[in-house]
Amino acid sequence: MTQDSGSLKQRRRYEERIAWLFITPVVLGILIFQIYPTIFSLYASFTTWNLITPPRWVGLENYVSLFTTDRFFIKSMWNTIRYTLGVVLPSMAISLFFASLLNQNIRFKHGYRAIYFVPVVAPTVALALLWGWLYEPNFGIINATLATVGIKGPSWLGTTTWALRSVIIMAIWAGIGFQIVIFLAGLQGISQEYYEAAAIDGANAWQKFAKITMPLLSPVTFFVLVTGVIGTFQDFSLVWVLTRGGPAGATQLIVMYLYGLAFQLQKMGRASAVAYAVFVVVVGLTIMNFILSKRWVFYEESN
Amino acid sequence: MPSKLSRRTFLRGAGIGAAGMALAACAPAAAPAPAEPAAPVADAPAAEAPAADAPASATTNMVFSSYTWSGYEAAMRDVIAGWNTDHPDVEVEQQYIAEDYWTKIQTQLAGGTPPDVGIADYARVVPYASSGVLLDITELIARDSFPLDDMFPAAVAQYRWAKGDFDSGGDGGNMYGLPSDAQSYIIAYNKTMFDEAGVAYPTDDWTWDDLVEMGKKITKPDENKWGMQYIDPTVFTKGNFLFSADGSNYTPDFKKSMVDSPESVAAWKWNWDLIYTHKIAPPPGAQASTNPFMSGQVAMVVDGVWWISDFASITDFEWDVALYPKHPDTGKRTTSLESDGWWAYKSTQDAEMAWSLLQYLSNQEGQTRFGDLGYVIPSCFPAVGERWYTQKPPENRLKVLDNITQESHKVDLTYYEFWTCWAAYSPSLGVAFSDGADIEAACAEAAQIHTEELTAAWERFQA
Repeated sequence: MTQDSGSLKQRRRYEERIAWLFITPVVLGILIFQIYPTIFSLYASFTTWNLITPPRWVGLENYVSLFTTDRFFIKSMWNTIRYTLGVVLPSMAISLFFASLLNQNIRFKHGYRAIYFVPVVAPTVALALLWGWLYEPNFGIINATLATVGIKGPSWLGTTTWALRSVIIMAIWAGIGFQIVIFLAGLQGISQEYYEAAAIDGANAWQKFAKITMPLLSPVTFFVLVTGVIGTFQDFSLVWVLTRGGPAGATQLIVMYLYGLAFQLQKMGRASAVAYAVFVVVVGLTIMNFILSKRWVFYEESN
Repeated sequence: MPSKLSRRTFLRGAGIGAAGMALAACAPAAAPAPAEPAAPVADAPAAEAPAADAPASATTNMVFSSYTWSGYEAAMRDVIAGWNTDHPDVEVEQQYIAEDYWTKIQTQLAGGTPPDVGIADYARVVPYASSGVLLDITELIARDSFPLDDMFPAAVAQYRWAKGDFDSGGDGGNMYGLPSDAQSYIIAYNKTMFDEAGVAYPTDDWTWDDLVEMGKKITKPDENKWGMQYIDPTVFTKGNFLFSADGSNYTPDFKKSMVDSPESVAAWKWNWDLIYTHKIAPPPGAQASTNPFMSGQVAMVVDGVWWISDFASITDFEWDVALYPKHPDTGKRTTSLESDGWWAYKSTQDAEMAWSLLQYLSNQEGQTRFGDLGYVIPSCFPAVGERWYTQKPPENRLKVLDNITQESHKVDLTYYEFWTCWAAYSPSLGVAFSDGADIEAACAEAAQIHTEELTAAWERFQA
């Protein structure tokens, strides 16, 4: 690559090669550890495979059985949908509420922000154990508090009636810190001029919130919704540590079921089929979100 | 109902780390096989092998593999170093895997690179042996007169399998591994709580009814004191108490569930009654990380013998173990015995060498060494085990051995695809325990599901 031979074209090609050189490790990593297993699991989903004997092709049997003979697929899917709805929408409302408060000029606001963020950085297992203690039926703090006003609290995690609700409450608490930060960033990105103009026009606080904050925040809300749905749908560790999917499968989420099939029962074909079913559902929900977003998400510059 | 974690259930459950992953990609875990955490070959054996004067060139290489937990790896390396003193020219590459052990082994099998010798699982003897991946050591045992007869028969039975059999332990089968321990179940009781309630300690003749009566006197719900922890359904189904009542899990030909037989239902109901009729057991749903016995919440508990080492740390109260109570009608007190062990994979290049290591790990010398290292799991040689059973606390540890010697049964989860069946039918029983739903209806429903699952398992077994 001497100076005089370096026409622009050659130079470009050279730089391109260097660029490829730099990204090759990452590309290889993605190909080997993500793309290949993803494609392979698609293949595996059409086989029966216990990892001891070679995979045997069974066509669509795994997928059909999910909806016919499988005792847990529909139930786990339904649990997951209830869990996702139960977690995402309330946690968004709560997060937005707290983000709005923290966006005010209050004392110690940085301290509050840090406190709300603690669950995000705390280890999942620690959070789950903490909630296990709170929910303890005999001397947990929740039932102890209820007892002081004469209410006998249920066995929160021990009965099928309460277990899913209990883990939903925990998941909301664990998730709002992250969403508050996102909402806060969105709120701070809204220009004060709008509020000043509204104030001159005599708008009250609610009108400002409904007519300025909500529309201008809608792209952020949309982001929180989409990532929230995808993330919550794939939740595993928090609930797993707390209940292992029990009692009697009442808190078994779809990823737990997948995990059990693959790594406890070594039914790799069936597990792969579940994985693809989840993939289809998550993609479907996301597409639906994008379609619906046209009705309520407002992008400042496009209008 | 995972009220407490045994080492095994922990291993089955471990793998939380694999959580927030890209979904579709996670299922087969096939690709990352080569990325096994490189086993540190270098350190232990080479350093500890006393044959420093002999030429250090290793002529043979053998791969040993095991799952591991705190401190275990060091103990294991020490035992293998013991074998190495007689085989200085063999370098044992030791692979210790902390999580998802069996998935990794099966990935290795699928890739054609299993270890030579590895830790065995009594619940996998049938699928592994019938798939032809295990080394049949029947003739080697006979040739070298390995003292199989000195071991607990129920321990040996777990590694014996006859071709075509749905379960291990059948007569005339071949041996596919050697047991390394004999873990039974115990009933422990809190002497301090008995004293406070003015209740006499269990005698050698006590019955299920006595247990309930004692529990009633001890139970004080307002003070969060309870007579007895209900027996975890998994522990119960393994045969503890259930067999004493002449209950069973399936017909002898494994074609039909027996969870709904009158004897089984009565036994399940007795366990359920502890919570919902006699109310001497705390309602389920207590914090999973606490053992209600250790926290002084319940006066009696049935659990694995391995809990004794945990219970030994109790300082708040006095405790002891008793013989299982007898069933009032049958007079039986059957405890389940389950044995981890060792086996060799058929693909090994040097069956003689693998057998040599296998023998060492399971013979009295190896097991004594294990016991001395603090890996207390009682040996499957009663003679070796006695070193452990005569220790204290508790005062009457030897009763555990008595119970095994009198009446023990091979743990009842070794038949083909037990875990698949159990995953399908246990929730029916689980609801009865968690919500108090009718136990007889639960048994009937469980039995129906169990029978269907057995039928499906037979189809897969014969495919």
